[in-house]
Amino acid sequence: MAEEEEDDYLSMSFGGPEAKPQETSLQRIARQKKEAAERSRVPSKGELREREKLARETALATAIDDSNKGAKMMAKMGFKGGALGKSDDARTQPIELQLKNDRGGIGMDSEKKRKVRQAAEAMEEGKKKQKVGMDEFRERSRLEREEKRGEGLWWGAMKVLEGLEEDGGEDAKVEDGPDEVGENVPKIKKGDKLKDVNLLYRPLLKHRLEKERDRKMRYDLNNSLSTRNNASDSEDDKEASFDKRTDQLEDEDTEIEEYEALSFANRLERVVTELRDKHQYCFWCKFRYTDAEMEGCPGLTEDEHG
Amino acid sequence: MADSENKSRFKRQKLSNEADQSNPYLAHMHPNGDSNGVGLDQSNGYGNGYASNSNGSAGGLSTFKRHASTAKMAKVAEDGPTNPFTGRQLSQKYFSILKTRRGLPVHAQRQEFLDMYQKSQILVFVGETGSGKTTQIPQFVAFDDLPQSQGKMVACTQPRRVAAMSVAQRVAQEMDVKLGEEVGYSIRFEDMTSPSTMLKYMTDGMLLREAMNDHDLKRYSTIILDEAHERTLATDILMGLLKGVVQRRPDLKLIIMSATLDAQKFQKYFMSAPLLAVPGRTHPVEIFYTAEPERDYVEAAMRTVLQIHGTEPEGDILLFLTGEEEIEDACRKINLEADELSREGAGPLKVYPLYGSLPPAQQQRIFDPAPPPYKPGGKPGRKCIVSTNIAETSLTIDGIVYVVDPGFSKQKVYNPRIRVESLLVSPISKASAQQRAGRAGRTRPGKCFRLYTEDAFKKELIEQSYPEILRSNLASTVLELKKLGVDDLVHFDLMDPPAPETLMRALEELNYLACLDDEGELTHLGTVASGFPLDPALAVMLISSPEFYCSNEILSLTALLSVPQVFVRPASARKRADEMKDLFAHQDGDHLTMLNVYHAFKSPAAQENPKQWCHDHFLSYRALQQADNVRLQLKRIMEREDIELVSTPFEDKKYYENIRRALVAGFFMQVAKKDNKTYTTVKDNQSVLLHPSTVLGQDSEWVLYNEFVLTNKNYIRTVTAVRPEWLLDIGQAYYDVDSFPKGEVKNGLIAAQRAMQRARDREERQKMMGGRGR
Repeated sequence: MAEEEEDDYLSMSFGGPEAKPQETSLQRIARQKKEAAERSRVPSKGELREREKLARETALATAIDDSNKGAKMMAKMGFKGGALGKSDDARTQPIELQLKNDRGGIGMDSEKKRKVRQAAEAMEEGKKKQKVGMDEFRERSRLEREEKRGEGLWWGAMKVLEGLEEDGGEDAKVEDGPDEVGENVPKIKKGDKLKDVNLLYRPLLKHRLEKERDRKMRYDLNNSLSTRNNASDSEDDKEASFDKRTDQLEDEDTEIEEYEALSFANRLERVVTELRDKHQYCFWCKFRYTDAEMEGCPGLTEDEHG
Repeated sequence: MADSENKSRFKRQKLSNEADQSNPYLAHMHPNGDSNGVGLDQSNGYGNGYASNSNGSAGGLSTFKRHASTAKMAKVAEDGPTNPFTGRQLSQKYFSILKTRRGLPVHAQRQEFLDMYQKSQILVFVGETGSGKTTQIPQFVAFDDLPQSQGKMVACTQPRRVAAMSVAQRVAQEMDVKLGEEVGYSIRFEDMTSPSTMLKYMTDGMLLREAMNDHDLKRYSTIILDEAHERTLATDILMGLLKGVVQRRPDLKLIIMSATLDAQKFQKYFMSAPLLAVPGRTHPVEIFYTAEPERDYVEAAMRTVLQIHGTEPEGDILLFLTGEEEIEDACRKINLEADELSREGAGPLKVYPLYGSLPPAQQQRIFDPAPPPYKPGGKPGRKCIVSTNIAETSLTIDGIVYVVDPGFSKQKVYNPRIRVESLLVSPISKASAQQRAGRAGRTRPGKCFRLYTEDAFKKELIEQSYPEILRSNLASTVLELKKLGVDDLVHFDLMDPPAPETLMRALEELNYLACLDDEGELTHLGTVASGFPLDPALAVMLISSPEFYCSNEILSLTALLSVPQVFVRPASARKRADEMKDLFAHQDGDHLTMLNVYHAFKSPAAQENPKQWCHDHFLSYRALQQADNVRLQLKRIMEREDIELVSTPFEDKKYYENIRRALVAGFFMQVAKKDNKTYTTVKDNQSVLLHPSTVLGQDSEWVLYNEFVLTNKNYIRTVTAVRPEWLLDIGQAYYDVDSFPKGEVKNGLIAAQRAMQRARDREERQKMMGGRGR
């Protein structure tokens, strides 16, 4: 550092007559302080890496110039530029260095680049599309909303149906979406078979069983992790009896698959019809009529109910 | 000499006048020429045959005329019962080997080969691996060229030392002679030949060395450059030289042997020499590509191996990886997973690593048969070899049916702009990929799993690997060429000339080392340096070491720097290995530490049981032994060149300093200056770190290094602390301060310069004061 200052001093005194705007002593002290701080700061690893890379790339991109001793010797040997040897197609540039820093396979780098490019293109594409279809967008979101609502109504209708089928009573409350799990353990009373249950609300039970199975798996996992093996016998029994039913989830059930392939609106319509036909219950009036004609109900669909 | 030659020729002629004997079709009736009829009597045959040989005319070869023999004649001579070259009785083993030899693909084309060989001075021979070319062609030549009758030899070059040794051994067996007599080998630091040698296997580098003292290679009647497709530096230079030699010596025959099909390039280079191709004994190999590029090629490789083991029918697996560490790691992991698989019903899997620095005994294990099934009739066992690219061309392992190729190998790269020569993991070429795939089809139809997409194969891999000459520092080569009498380096006819900057850098380095003058002519120092089989920097260091009173020590150090790493650091015992290394550590750097190791190794205590001692101290016994041998060879050259062997007394406080100064005499161009946390190389301004293996602390301002290694970081390896005054003093021409770019290095040098000046002034003043006082 001391040398550097002396250097500056020397260069100024021999620097010739050109009149540079003079730096005031305060400015100089400030500048020197700043420079010293910059020098004494310990660079981070990333900076070092960056610096190393920069130095390497700069050097690699710079050809050895004619002032080099070896170049002068070659000139004396009759080298006039171009390539060495006697063939015409010999190389004039050194082979490029390619550093590999990871274990990516052949083609991985270009694959990454391709993906980045693709993503960029996709974004462009997306922007264009947005401009085109404001109407289309409205239509789509309307459909999405309807779909969601349809699903909610379907779950609700199934619960009503379940309630009616199980005890003939009307304890069903209309809720959107499937049950929260836990408090009401699955009610399958007529036999143990899922398949025996009315297809129209079977998904409801299936859903509960699935949730229950997940909960149990989590529970088992917790148990095995904590190595506490003091689960009470009664609980074990409960789990065991439940196992039998969750096992049914593994069984194939083509009926339910077909049913679930229908749109929510269709499924809802089927449940509503079932409710009317079997239980004289109008899902839309939320009322169980006593007569088969269902006097007083405006009709089958929601629209008819206004 | 000329007399006896005439005599023998006359004798041969006389014999060939006898109609029966000259008729090759009747030759079987006269199995061994002049020892006629004795052949069946074993007890007699030995003596007679031998005697006839000492008469100057070899038994079965007496009917042979140079460059006019036939395959049939050779067959008869080979059938014995006496050895056509020694006249001794042929052994049982010889005949059993002969039978296998006759089954080799090259054998079917012996006559065709001879026809072309006799007609043309230069011949390009293409034989795929497994065709038997390396062992058979030189013997075919020996039977027709009869080098012993001319007092000459047939030379066959190999790129690798190990290959030269093992092939020579094999051929000596095949010819039923003692290795080192009729058949020998010559590699750097080891000569296994005798005056009776007529067939000599040697490294290409060795032949190049010989050419330095004998520009026309007059000792040879035929030169065979084997494995030319590998395009080693020495082979490329030899081709350039021999192109001139064949014009000066019409009697010299030259055969270029290659295992791959780019042989047209050789043909074109050698003035349209005729080409003969022999198909290898290979089976079709089905090639599979991945659908997607792999995120981690090592992971993918291990997965593929295990999948093959779990699902494919019997057959061994060859996996190509890049280096020792990667290979050992993969072997460990595959072993673990294979145990798991065998519990699930798969057969046993034996995994063997294979790489250059592996001890020979362990290398040999790859030839062990695959393990038997766990129980009779159970799933077959197999072996899996995890190898560097040495298994690509040079080593033939039978039984390989599956090849897993991630597409990488460690390759040497050199860039003259930053003067770095390093081994880097790089993609292989298409030619290499084909070669690798071919390894699966040696025994029966096989499969090759490439861990990249077909698209990547087509678009990302270059056609041919770059020849070594394009990837090397040429300082040593330029010095050799100068000694070989090549004056016009610029127009020297190479098959693939390197970039001009590479030559520039080499000339510059040699000029700074004072091996070449400004006109590019060899200096005295350069001539002496070229006599050492060493890099110019090492040679110059060694030659100038007497000036620093430590040539004994520098000799040891040079030997140590010429052999593989002496420190062993197994993954399982890194900490203990480091502790052991600390026992030898010298605070001023790795060179001195290595020297301490060597001195300890030579101490009586260690020599009592050197193997155990090395094992206990985590040192490579092989490397140290090799260093000992190299030291001996170098010492002989020093004695020949009248270079004094001196030492500073160990008690002298300058003992170590002198050694460090002597290091500067050779390595002043490989110096870095501390710059904050990192170091900066002088002149090239590359930011580098001390390699983690160094014993040197981080507080040395100036360090000299043996190697600049590029990995994901720039490292300098094997470093020793030096003083800037020494650089200015010993490397004067290089440390011309004005020529340095502005920066930390220049500032440091200027400071040192001033300090030196001040010291001189002070001395001057003291002298004057002292003078006045008196």
